Amino acid sequence: MTRYILNRLGQSLVLLVLVSMIGFAVLNLAPGGPLSQFALTPGMTQADLDRISAQMGLDRPLVVQYADWFWRLLRGDWGRSFRDSRPVLDVIGGHFGATLLLMGTATVISVTIGTWVGIKGATKRYSIFDYAATVGAMVALSIPTFWFGLVAIYIFSLKLGWLPAGNMYTIGNGSFLDYAIHLIMPAMVLALVDVAVWSRYMRTATLDVINQDFVRTARAKGMTPRRVLMKHVVGNALLPMITLAGLQVPTLLGGALVTETVFTWPGMGRLFLDSLGYQDYPVVMGLLMFSAILVLLSNLAADLLTAFVDPRIRLT
Amino acid sequence: MSVSSTPINRPIKSGWWNSRTFRRFVRHRLAALGVVMVILLTLACVIGPYLLPYNDLYIDLRARFSPPLTGYHFLGTDPLGRDIAARLLMAGRISMLVGFAAMILSTMIGATIGVVAGYYGGRIGTVLMRFVDAVLSFPSIFLLLALAAFIKPSPIMITVIIAITSWMEVARIVEAEVRSLRERDFIMAARMLGLSNRWIMFRELLPNAMGPIIVAATLTVARAILLEAYVSFLGYGIQPPLPSWGNMLNGAQQYLQSAPWLAIIPGVAITLAVTSFNFIGDGLRDALDARSDLN
Amino acid sequence: MSDKHRNAILHPNRRQALAMMGMVGATGLVLPGILGRDKAYAAPPSAPKGQVIIGFSQEPTVFNPHMLHIEVDEGIHFSVFDPLFNVDPEGKFTPALAVEVPTVENGGISADGLNWKVKLRDGVKWHDGKPFTADDVKFTLDLVVDKDFRSARRAGHDQVRDIKVVSPTEITWRMEKPYAPYASILAATFIVPKHILEPEKDRNTAPFNNAPVGTGPFKWVERVAGDHIELAANADYYGDGPYLERVIYKYIPDLTVLYTQFKTGDIDVTGLQWITPDHYDEAKALEGKTVQVVPGGTVESVTFNMEKPQFKDPAVRQALYHALDKTTIIDALYYGLPAPTETYMPQQSFYFNPDLPKHEFDIEKAKKLLDDAGWKPGEDGIRAKDGVRLSFSNSTTAGNHIREQVQQFMQQSFKDIGVEMTISNLPPAVMWGEYWMQSKFDSVVVGLDFLTGPDPDTSDYFLTSSINAKGGAGQNTWQYSNPEVDKLLAEGGQVFVPEDRKKAYLKIQEIMRDDLPFLPIFQYATIRGRKKGMTGFTPNVNNRIDSWNVGTWYWEQA
Repeated sequence: MTRYILNRLGQSLVLLVLVSMIGFAVLNLAPGGPLSQFALTPGMTQADLDRISAQMGLDRPLVVQYADWFWRLLRGDWGRSFRDSRPVLDVIGGHFGATLLLMGTATVISVTIGTWVGIKGATKRYSIFDYAATVGAMVALSIPTFWFGLVAIYIFSLKLGWLPAGNMYTIGNGSFLDYAIHLIMPAMVLALVDVAVWSRYMRTATLDVINQDFVRTARAKGMTPRRVLMKHVVGNALLPMITLAGLQVPTLLGGALVTETVFTWPGMGRLFLDSLGYQDYPVVMGLLMFSAILVLLSNLAADLLTAFVDPRIRLT
Repeated sequence: MSVSSTPINRPIKSGWWNSRTFRRFVRHRLAALGVVMVILLTLACVIGPYLLPYNDLYIDLRARFSPPLTGYHFLGTDPLGRDIAARLLMAGRISMLVGFAAMILSTMIGATIGVVAGYYGGRIGTVLMRFVDAVLSFPSIFLLLALAAFIKPSPIMITVIIAITSWMEVARIVEAEVRSLRERDFIMAARMLGLSNRWIMFRELLPNAMGPIIVAATLTVARAILLEAYVSFLGYGIQPPLPSWGNMLNGAQQYLQSAPWLAIIPGVAITLAVTSFNFIGDGLRDALDARSDLN
Repeated sequence: MSDKHRNAILHPNRRQALAMMGMVGATGLVLPGILGRDKAYAAPPSAPKGQVIIGFSQEPTVFNPHMLHIEVDEGIHFSVFDPLFNVDPEGKFTPALAVEVPTVENGGISADGLNWKVKLRDGVKWHDGKPFTADDVKFTLDLVVDKDFRSARRAGHDQVRDIKVVSPTEITWRMEKPYAPYASILAATFIVPKHILEPEKDRNTAPFNNAPVGTGPFKWVERVAGDHIELAANADYYGDGPYLERVIYKYIPDLTVLYTQFKTGDIDVTGLQWITPDHYDEAKALEGKTVQVVPGGTVESVTFNMEKPQFKDPAVRQALYHALDKTTIIDALYYGLPAPTETYMPQQSFYFNPDLPKHEFDIEKAKKLLDDAGWKPGEDGIRAKDGVRLSFSNSTTAGNHIREQVQQFMQQSFKDIGVEMTISNLPPAVMWGEYWMQSKFDSVVVGLDFLTGPDPDTSDYFLTSSINAKGGAGQNTWQYSNPEVDKLLAEGGQVFVPEDRKKAYLKIQEIMRDDLPFLPIFQYATIRGRKKGMTGFTPNVNNRIDSWNVGTWYWEQA
């Protein structure tokens, strides 16, 4: 087990180094640069820009810059943002909570609805509900997230006036209710795709379990269908879903990026777009690494958890 | 997650919708619907612009922000007074072309990597497939944007970067398929005949994995159209005045209150097209997968 | 502020003010509240009272005023720090940390412009209670040219030699050469505390940069990253104000949301980027809000890369100017808010030239100009001459929607005269990098603020030696080169009497209007809104930020 974990971690580290190299090369070989945003400041001259660029070490060869960045990273120094000169980890940390809140809520919503739809579809197979869920899931997978967000804003904010069109909370009002009201739309929009995915997988998993011997035995013993469902079917069907949850993290992160843009949600997605636009390399690199680590860890956690819950699976 | 046994002793309710025939029929009907919609959309985008009295690039500031179904513009006009119907159809050409081209390119990349990894197996296979895992474990939109931000956006470049970020699925499918075919008799025979590895991979193995590849390819078209829309919506995609479904939505948010049709119309087009391709892909998967009947 | 304090640098005079007022009236851009503010409103409270929330669409993040920063950061700088003297809306200097503004007349500057002497205010305290002295001024002037410090701007400061602290309230220095714009540069140089920054090993990453200590009307309280910055009244402030207990700068990344929150009263004042033009009609009618259109110093133009063969012929540039439908662009796309202009000089400036030929939109004239110059339409309808096709690309920051609309509109007009323009927009970091600074573009739509404060010097933009692509070090990205302009700029920079200086700058504007290295479209005007009762808000075309005088803002008492 320990060996397995170490092995996986080792593989992940190699992957991370690869990701960092690709990311660094893409960012730095691109035209322009982090100082460009200041070019239109009144009185700014090429002489000033050259001097500051040299002071920041941006005129060194790329390999040297990468080595420097990597060496610092190894010592826990993620560098400082070019825009506000704060440590990158602080900058990311300041936005991580918002994204976590959004992703967490969306996951709860999608797991709840997806599980329900999936189980109902499986137990009432070939019902109209089942077909509607199948078609609905396919359509949900086809709707562009941001567009769904725009339509939601149009209906619920502009036309009905029920929900705020964006932001995480009202200034000067940090109450739970206020957060909740702001959270509803972005979380629902982000959850849409996941509901579709979850419900499909859950349906298949439930069907798998329903037909197994122990369920038939339970039923034969005279347990009510409902008890059978709750006691044996749901628990066992949820098992493979743990892996799925881990695998959904990259999709969620990507979806969060778009959703945050539409709803002006102050999370990592917005930070990524802003930093990208200004070629704030340290922050963009930090975010790339951060999300890669997050994804790798959640994949690993999913595998370990599956093994832990289901002793039949042995990790080698 | 394979299905281990056939459905048994469930109280079968009678009803016209629960027969297997009906289920296949519905599935196929959805797929057929998808095919019909794709054909219609393609025809509309190819022929439509010639039938409309407006040019998609013609600017008429006096007619800006005309709502749909008022005046002379069937779907209304945009902030520069251009006819939205004309733009929608021209945009469709570009978006669907990008979708198809990205599909072809990514399928080629994915199939090549998959077949090589599956055929050789061993160390080469492991390295290649770990690489696939690495790219997969990454939020592709991050990579896509990072690339798009730093190149001069043109339809060709957008196609290329979409392909670069969406070949992994095909690679996985092909690798699995090839690995299972590798030890079969006809491949043994081919080896004994002294055929070259390349011949075996691309002339013997790949054609036999064609079914799953086609399914994946269909779904990739859907995905590529969506990705183009994401990137263009965020402003890093296809540049104006060239319309694409994605960039028609770029900037629509600020007019959501005053001119909601700017956001609604292209979004409906994207959803229609993507849903159609997903229906087709799903239908094909059913048709090709013998087990699906039991599920 | 008494009249004694209202000395213009080097040359206090009333004609200057009158001339400016005349011009302001003539352009039709009325600036309510600029003049006679103190008389028009109720008196400020005797002690700081209430708070104001100012919304910004970008997040202020750089609080050391000498590091690279963007406009919104200056909102914090003006609140927390003081320069030696400020610039008022009329372009005149008013003393801040200096007791009086140095001029040739009062002996602060020697007649040759080389020796400067500044008398400082006594008894001023830093927010941490330490006294402010001439040492702080010397430290600041040294810091901005310190080779290890990432100073945003050195121009001007690098001419300063032999800084001497004569007494805690007096400082002198010598200039390497006479440099008239230095006064304007000093007016934007905030004094930072020596006792805090000097001991720091690396001043680029000092804690001070994230928790500034100044002498200004407001003290730093806290920053909630990604959300807001809170400042509190400095009870010991030496000058006018502060009259508010708290100032909160709220970051709202979306302009529509910014407007909505202004409408609902969540924010009191709309700061940068203000209210979008498409909301103007609605905003005007809002109950309990004051909404006004305020001109800014930025001029929008289509700039050419003069080294590209398409643009070498003046006839082409003139023809394109005639084909540019400025009226429609301003009225339709910008809702008629900005004022058309013929020059890079803001119309509020003392140096503005009002006699430039007026632009005419005339497609036929444009065609004729091109015909006469020998640009003949080819088979594809695009004109060409000597193998050069009249086809070029136009770029700007991707994502600026109104500008993208302007581009597409121009594209159509230019096509009518047989000129092909393609659009190639880039993300900001690419657009304003090498592509712009090293003149790799064909043409660009850009809004530029050519001046430093009220000073008319534009050497960085027009001098032949400022062409980066030819080894220069300025921002002459159009690669414009005209010996006469070079000469006039050199002369103007060394003359210290505004009347005498003016001639040179009027002439430069005339030459620019003829040469057209860029086609001036309009001078920006933006829509500022504030809650009724918020008093003291005074637009100032010489500063980039509305809250430059937030120390004197107050809520009118009911």
